[in-house]
Amino acid sequence: MSAGLHLSHFQALLLFALLVSVALGFLSRREPVERFKYIARSLFWFLLIGVGIGWAMYPFSR
Amino acid sequence: MTEELIAKSAAPLRPRTDSRAAAVAIAGLLVPGLGHALLGMWGRALACFLSVGALVYAGAGMRGNLFSWQSADAFSRLGFVADAGSGIFYLVAKSLEALGPDVSHSYGDYGTRFLATAGVLNLLAALHAYEAAKGHKA
Repeated sequence: MSAGLHLSHFQALLLFALLVSVALGFLSRREPVERFKYIARSLFWFLLIGVGIGWAMYPFSR
Repeated sequence: MTEELIAKSAAPLRPRTDSRAAAVAIAGLLVPGLGHALLGMWGRALACFLSVGALVYAGAGMRGNLFSWQSADAFSRLGFVADAGSGIFYLVAKSLEALGPDVSHSYGDYGTRFLATAGVLNLLAALHAYEAAKGHKA
């Protein structure tokens, strides 16, 4: 893997949130519907809080 | 009388259950998902294996820092504990990172977090498999 994987901030956040949400959803819920709901909710909160913190830091970025 | 019989029959099984649960947890630590696979929880086994594997693959691809156990400071040693939690994928990450880490870019820094998260996630999965093997939760 010499070329490397160059992801943007948002792509990295999305990939991280998706993988962690799927793993936690499968570990913490037993029923498929409950798992799907958990994964969707977790993904939503990951993205919302991630983007929110990004915007909160915007005034200090310059 | 019935209670005495149950107590007598359950007592010798306890150490076997404990050692089986420990074996399941160790298997899950070494190979992500294997602990759940041994318990017949195939969905969880596959989800753990793929999630941890994908996090390690992405983390190594982004040239994240993979800590060594010979690290000088306590923080790096803590990083090694997190990284090593991914079991055999720690060695896979080492082989994937032929050029070594590069945290001079943001994606390299993210890669370090991906690798650590993969390990911590697998530690959590192994603990879950241990609890499931003991019959505490599933």
